[in-house]
Amino acid sequence: MKAAIIIVNYNGQELLAQSVPAALEAAGQAGAHPVFVADDASTDDTIEFLCRAFPEVTVLALPKRGFGATSNAAVEAAETEAVVLLNSDVIVTPRFLEPLLDGLAKPDVFAVGCKFLNADGSLTHALGNRTSGRWQSGLLQLEHETRPERLERTCPQLYANGGGMAFWRDKWQALGGFDALYHPFYWEDVDIGYRAWGRGWQVLYEPASVVYHDQGSTMRRVHRPAHIELMSAKNAVLFAWKNLLDPRLFRRALAAQARWAADDVLIGGLPSRTAALWRASRQLSEAARGRTSEQRARLRTDEEILALSSRGDL
Amino acid sequence: MKREEALGLLLTFARRGEDDTVRRAVAHIRQQGATDVLAVGTPVSAPALRVVGADDILAYGDGAGTRAVIRDLRRRRPRLAVIVYLDASFAGHLKLEALALLSGAKRVWRAAPEGPPTAIGRAGLSSSVLDKSVRAFGCVLAGMSICAIAFTCLRARQLVAGGRRANRA
Repeated sequence: MKAAIIIVNYNGQELLAQSVPAALEAAGQAGAHPVFVADDASTDDTIEFLCRAFPEVTVLALPKRGFGATSNAAVEAAETEAVVLLNSDVIVTPRFLEPLLDGLAKPDVFAVGCKFLNADGSLTHALGNRTSGRWQSGLLQLEHETRPERLERTCPQLYANGGGMAFWRDKWQALGGFDALYHPFYWEDVDIGYRAWGRGWQVLYEPASVVYHDQGSTMRRVHRPAHIELMSAKNAVLFAWKNLLDPRLFRRALAAQARWAADDVLIGGLPSRTAALWRASRQLSEAARGRTSEQRARLRTDEEILALSSRGDL
Repeated sequence: MKREEALGLLLTFARRGEDDTVRRAVAHIRQQGATDVLAVGTPVSAPALRVVGADDILAYGDGAGTRAVIRDLRRRRPRLAVIVYLDASFAGHLKLEALALLSGAKRVWRAAPEGPPTAIGRAGLSSSVLDKSVRAFGCVLAGMSICAIAFTCLRARQLVAGGRRANRA
């Protein structure tokens, strides 16, 4: 099976200096898979740097459209059966690729996620491992396993972290790729994982595919923490509006979201919940369109999706 | 002096990065003569609160409702209370301010990362609670309006698109 490795980048020249050689080594070891860097209109010298230092890498210089749309354009350009998507701050280990591709070969699998370790090799607060979710306060609360003893087996998970995942390109295209609703960033990977489960496919966690991730290092350099928090909260609201189809759960969720706004005063801190709801409301028609198409394609209920994706075994 | 009279109340959400402020708040409580520090927290924040010097934790969220916490607080009659804020604007934290007021603590301080804790009288605290309650109500109204519009629009589209099947998902 041929897999394109795509590294999505914005102003990450220093990060690419470490992540590209690691990806090239892994791609070569696994039987020469092509490596792409999808550049989201960086303003640093990324493109010149890549052409000079890594001529074997295909550089896709794309207009500024954010993480989701840049990933979609790169997947379209890849033309391989399978695709591996990596963040520019993810350093892969030499043998990370084969276990991902083995995982994809299992029946009904849409995507397989890597095992994410912090840059120092620890698991403390590491995000993206054996993900699951539950509805609370009107939003899908995401959970990431950090206990080492529970991260040793291949198993289903709710979504594969977009920073290190492999997937079938045809299934990706059938799902329409990352949804532009979540522009500029966050929740695209949760959304596509949830929708894949809804269509009867599965998403796996693969512990043998190890990568190191300096979580959020690119984001923190480019955006203010308040903006990151606000966009994440806005997208959490939009995720529920688009994907929560169970009428009873949906009613409860929206009532809880209304109460959630009061947390601005009851608790305080970031993000502003009222601002997040207001921002989400400006994309209501987009969310409604996504909800309609989701409803037509959905084969599993919301409860089934969460139950199946949190099973401990394959 | 009875033990209850020497109780100091620590009110914090124990967010990541607040450790220094919380430690200074605990030190302040002891400086003011409290022999025991009682913190109100959750089962999740309890270990962190013990590390920063709380002697006892009144945990809610593990079955204990807000009313039970308030009842317990009033029974234990803390003599003073310190509320830990994110910054010197003292925004938000209505939950903690209301708990400080309802606990019956005679003296209350507000601690922020910058500078020493500042005292606030019961009248000032009551006024802050009232002001923030009105604002919280405003937020709920705004949230309700947005969510009502969203609910109507999304459910209507779902019903139109899916007819009776829309309720099966």
